[in-house]
Amino acid sequence: MRQLLALTGSDLLQRMRDKSVLLFALVVPLALMSVFNLVFGQADDIEIKPLTVAVSVAAGDDLAQVLVGVVRSLDDAGGLDVTVTEVDEAGARQHVEDGDAAIALLVPDGFAQAARAGEPVTVEAVRGDEAGIEADIVLSVVDGVLDQIASGAVTAQAALAEGVAAADLDALVEQATGGGPAYDLTSGEASDEQLGAGAALVAGQAGLFLLFTVSFGVTGLLVDRESGTLARLRSMPIPAWVVVASKALVSFLLGVVSTGILLGVGAYLFDADFGSVPAVVALVLCAAAAGTSVMFLIVRVARTSEQAGIATSIVALVLGIGGGAFFPVSATGPLSRVLDLNPVAALLRGLGTTSGGGGLGDVGVPVAIMLGFVAVMLVVSRLVPDRGVMS
Amino acid sequence: MRNALTVAGTELRLFLRDRSNLFFVFVFPLLLVLMIGLQFGEGASTGRVAVSGTASDLRSGLVERLEGDDVVVSDPAWEDALALLARGRLDAAVRVDDAAASAYDAGRGLTLEVVRGSSGNAQVVEQQVRVAVDALRSDRGRLLALEGAGVPPDRAAAAVEAAEGQVVAPRLEVTSVDRLSQEFEGMGQFEFGASGQLLLFTFLACLGGSATLIQARRLGVVSRMLAGPMTARELVAGQILGRWAIALFQGGYLMLATSLVFGVDWGSLPLALLVLLLFSLVAAGAAILLGTLLENEGAAGGAGVGFGLVLAALGGSMFPLELFPDTMRAISRITPHAWAYEALADIQRRGAGLVDILPQLGVLAVMALLLATVGGWSLRRSLARAM
Repeated sequence: MRQLLALTGSDLLQRMRDKSVLLFALVVPLALMSVFNLVFGQADDIEIKPLTVAVSVAAGDDLAQVLVGVVRSLDDAGGLDVTVTEVDEAGARQHVEDGDAAIALLVPDGFAQAARAGEPVTVEAVRGDEAGIEADIVLSVVDGVLDQIASGAVTAQAALAEGVAAADLDALVEQATGGGPAYDLTSGEASDEQLGAGAALVAGQAGLFLLFTVSFGVTGLLVDRESGTLARLRSMPIPAWVVVASKALVSFLLGVVSTGILLGVGAYLFDADFGSVPAVVALVLCAAAAGTSVMFLIVRVARTSEQAGIATSIVALVLGIGGGAFFPVSATGPLSRVLDLNPVAALLRGLGTTSGGGGLGDVGVPVAIMLGFVAVMLVVSRLVPDRGVMS
Repeated sequence: MRNALTVAGTELRLFLRDRSNLFFVFVFPLLLVLMIGLQFGEGASTGRVAVSGTASDLRSGLVERLEGDDVVVSDPAWEDALALLARGRLDAAVRVDDAAASAYDAGRGLTLEVVRGSSGNAQVVEQQVRVAVDALRSDRGRLLALEGAGVPPDRAAAAVEAAEGQVVAPRLEVTSVDRLSQEFEGMGQFEFGASGQLLLFTFLACLGGSATLIQARRLGVVSRMLAGPMTARELVAGQILGRWAIALFQGGYLMLATSLVFGVDWGSLPLALLVLLLFSLVAAGAAILLGTLLENEGAAGGAGVGFGLVLAALGGSMFPLELFPDTMRAISRITPHAWAYEALADIQRRGAGLVDILPQLGVLAVMALLLATVGGWSLRRSLARAM
């Protein structure tokens, strides 16, 4: 135990003196977090804003008035604040150009007649600078109304073909569009287990650079072999496993400390809240263990510290990007399940749960994924032929 | 000059011999272009909806309607759908339970549960679900109306189908007069990723090479070279040319590979190459400066990756400059990446000519001259120390 602590202590001291550890563990990730926060911070801020729609419709067009009525009825529905201004076509375009309206809806003359007859007719919508997500909602509603109007025309046409009297058509269309069975939608609430924009940046960079940081400990074995230190250590009465364990311990400690600092400093600087401290500590410990376990495989395969460095960078970037360190990966289905098995993804998932109010008992799945990852890496590293440091 | 070219050629050979480059130069940038294209490119912002429930006419009708509206539909179990929603991997989830499916088959009213996620786009996607459900209801409503008017059910369905072939639905045509849409107009799915990664990796490859300069000084290679018939000026020129060659190689490869693999249109090739030439020279100057200011290869590697990523993020290589807040857009102009990004965007999307991109080229040329001069001066100082 004394030997283990002595080796670990001396290695930790050496790593602290090495500027590259500090660069990769703290300086670069903090710099990236700051830049990303400045660049992406505001872009993620999507909120529903009040919206003015300028419409131009012919006065006597009843179907166009129905369309306008539906848009008007969106005011106060689903959090929307919609104001409808009726003007002529040129005025509507002008309103959008001047920024007085987010969208202009231009319904052509003779719209009702063409739509009822099933003849081609186009409603033009002009989006302006102020048009955001609320404009997309309005346009989706307008699209739905146009579908309904088309459905009415289909009903009328089918009824005529089947010999229904022309005088009964209006009532039939009314019944088809307004009557029929009621299809209701009840809205449920989704729980939120996602990190906010700032917290996601902090957690993503912490997860990515954890993999670089843990590499400094274990790949130190290869450096020691190249410098002859390993041979000297092995000539002494120190069991081989103690040497290996000390490197792993260095990796693990560097990983825990750097990730802890990054999450703490990041949370303070970028106003992120990761929630329950014990749960976050458990996640960080497991993530550092998972990162360290990959290094065991790398030192077994890599012949030189240079090869190990290359392999580490590749593994860190692939796992980091695949895990959502830079942007959330929106894959679904089997691919998302594979991506979920990655320790960076598991760390981000766990931190999402804790930031959403989850405690130690709620991070079981990500913890299990990371510990499973450790077990798999340790088994695989025992199974692959050793052509690396201890061969 | 021959000596300088020999040094440059050796630098390029050393770069290509480095096995890590097989991945980082040739494969990794293309993977990122692919991922960014899939994530942010054209058509990537469509909604993601889960329609859960056992197979039924109602479920398949809803899926068909949503897919017709370009929504990506999946079919996880309800609990899984809620978990995916909570993690932001879905915009909305709809539960089609057995009661609703049987009510649909029987032509009765029904209730569907819809849960909206927290993504910015979720409210729009929920509205798309409402439109799809309304359309299904209307399909059923018109059949019932026809049957109510005395048309037998089988004939009603056939008549509706025939009428659908004759009726042309009114169309909604959306045009944009907003600045952003116009700036992005003409950009294909992979164009942003390709130009962003071109600038990121060209600069990164060059900065990464600064460690070899430190190694050469530490191992005495530089002193030995200067012991031969080579002047310090030739060595400096060779080092700058070498970095320039590395950057041009990386950039040229990415331009070629992205146009072949992803069909990226680089616009006027001579102009795009001119941007690459000047941008690479800026990168070469920066790499020489970094390699002479630092004494440790590990630190140079870390600083190279750090600077490379930070400058790229600031310069719009990871997130479109057009979407930057105004202050950040102004700050981005300290990076060569931002100027090169704007020039490439003008060439690719707006068919700009030489005159249109002269301001960007001018700034890049000044940056290149400044960094190459300071880098060269710093290298000569370090050579004096080495001698």
